[in-house]
Amino acid sequence: MPRKVEFTDTEFMIAQGARLLEDGKTFFVGWGIPQIVAILEQKLYVPNVEQLFECGAVGPQSVLPFVRGTMGGPQNTYRSLQWLNMNWAFSYSASGYMDYGMLGALQVDPYGNINSTYLGGTFEKPERRFAGSGGGNQVASHCWRTVVIIKHEGRRFVPKVEFITSPGYLTGPGAREKAGLPKDTGPYRVVTSKALFGFDERTKEMTLLSVLRGITPEEVVKEMAFRPRIAETVTEIHPPTEDELRLLREEIDPSRIIIRGEKMTAIA
Amino acid sequence: MEYRFEHPDEFRAFVRDRKSRKPFDKICTAKEAVSRFVADGDYIVYDFSSLTRGPQSLIREVIRQKKKDLWIGAEFTLHESALLTGAGCATRIDVGFLGYGNYIGQAVCDGRVKVYEWTNGGLALRILAGARGVPFLPTRDLLGSDNLSVSAAKVIPDPYTGLPVCLVPALNPDVAFLHVHQADIHGDARIFGTNLFALEAALASRRVIVSAEEIVEPDEFRKDPMRTTIPYFLVDAVVHAPFGAYPGAMPARYEIDLEHVDRLNGIRNDDQMRKYLDENIYSVADHEEFLDKRVGARRMKELRRKASITEGYR
Repeated sequence: MPRKVEFTDTEFMIAQGARLLEDGKTFFVGWGIPQIVAILEQKLYVPNVEQLFECGAVGPQSVLPFVRGTMGGPQNTYRSLQWLNMNWAFSYSASGYMDYGMLGALQVDPYGNINSTYLGGTFEKPERRFAGSGGGNQVASHCWRTVVIIKHEGRRFVPKVEFITSPGYLTGPGAREKAGLPKDTGPYRVVTSKALFGFDERTKEMTLLSVLRGITPEEVVKEMAFRPRIAETVTEIHPPTEDELRLLREEIDPSRIIIRGEKMTAIA
Repeated sequence: MEYRFEHPDEFRAFVRDRKSRKPFDKICTAKEAVSRFVADGDYIVYDFSSLTRGPQSLIREVIRQKKKDLWIGAEFTLHESALLTGAGCATRIDVGFLGYGNYIGQAVCDGRVKVYEWTNGGLALRILAGARGVPFLPTRDLLGSDNLSVSAAKVIPDPYTGLPVCLVPALNPDVAFLHVHQADIHGDARIFGTNLFALEAALASRRVIVSAEEIVEPDEFRKDPMRTTIPYFLVDAVVHAPFGAYPGAMPARYEIDLEHVDRLNGIRNDDQMRKYLDENIYSVADHEEFLDKRVGARRMKELRRKASITEGYR
């Protein structure tokens, strides 16, 4: 029997992100939502993933419920394999040991370039200013595959980001290598609150791969300020499962401060 | 592009001539440490954040003494940049992570504070270069990004391969603030848990102020050298500051005061900022009075009780 599920856009992004990674890999975890994704995926799908935090926690296994706003406290760095510092943490990604990285973003463009610095105006006189790179630039520069997690809002998907905080494929094929960035690295997936994108192997342009069950590719694309490529077969993404929602709501974020958001429904 | 720099030879001469290697008693009050070692116009770095083991009592003392024209290295920073900017102390910030809340973002938009983008990895590497006594270090990040145009990072052909590589200049701050679990009167210090660049910052900075939850006997360090984070001869002042990371957490000692942190997060304009600073900083003489009158024994006891995770911290 088809059943209607209710969830928030944030819950859907987190659940999607958590289904992406492979077991037995390493994962450089960005600040905020990626921390929740990492917890959920490790609990449900890929127990043998080692996480890395830029503040020097190698292989942390966060205590639940999740403590928001911090990365280096005893809850989030619990049961790590190793406690170090920032220069060593970035050495793990710079030397090629980090398979996946995951970052939030304010804006992303067709080449997966990320802006998390400012919106509107100029750098010197912005209209709105945000936190900036943090360690995001290092994650996007050095991890083999970078996953961007971002709300599906038109103003966030722009033909050209206002500021490249963290590099995607820059201007296209070969541009990363030409800039001196490590070979064969770059954005891998863009997880949104409605869809999943990859990058075309040849052109390095963002490509729609899958959409949430009940939404059409056209609906997804018309909300974006650029037209992405569309895969030959666009697959369907299952809405958050009972297990995913239970873990998120009851164990990870019972106060629902992080997972709250716009209400969505889909048929399970 | 403006950037803080001094040649390693200048820094080395300072270390030779002005840093005592003698293990003398460096215990002093925060008031004495800040008035003696922090000057208007100084460049300041600190280890960790306002939520985890940040030197919050020292930062409040800087604000209380109304230091001016400070340049801060805002690595992993949360509320520090907002408070130091709101109090009129900081006028330049190397980012890092600019910080939490609407206040600091608005201050940048209003042009009240100048920012440069080095990223967390870039700042950590600059301080490592400062600690290693080299004028710069190469790295393979920042490349291709717009941070290059708003910092003094440079891209040159690597002399060995000819491929582009990014260089960041050494950073030798005037002062480093480190809040630690244990220190002795000479300045030997222990941090339990992760840190950002505690040892690099202590090596690279002209002056190092350590604030400590607990003062222990010097001999403790000799008995267990693996646990020494900072040796005494890098340190200029030791301040005994229980709850020095408040409202943030001190791992395995006390938890974050989320209620107080929410008050900080809620500061949006100058009126709210002034009210916060008056209530928590200007109206109390020092950290002890702040704890006594604004935090209270009951709350401190509660925060201690909440710090139930001790595994790994020793």
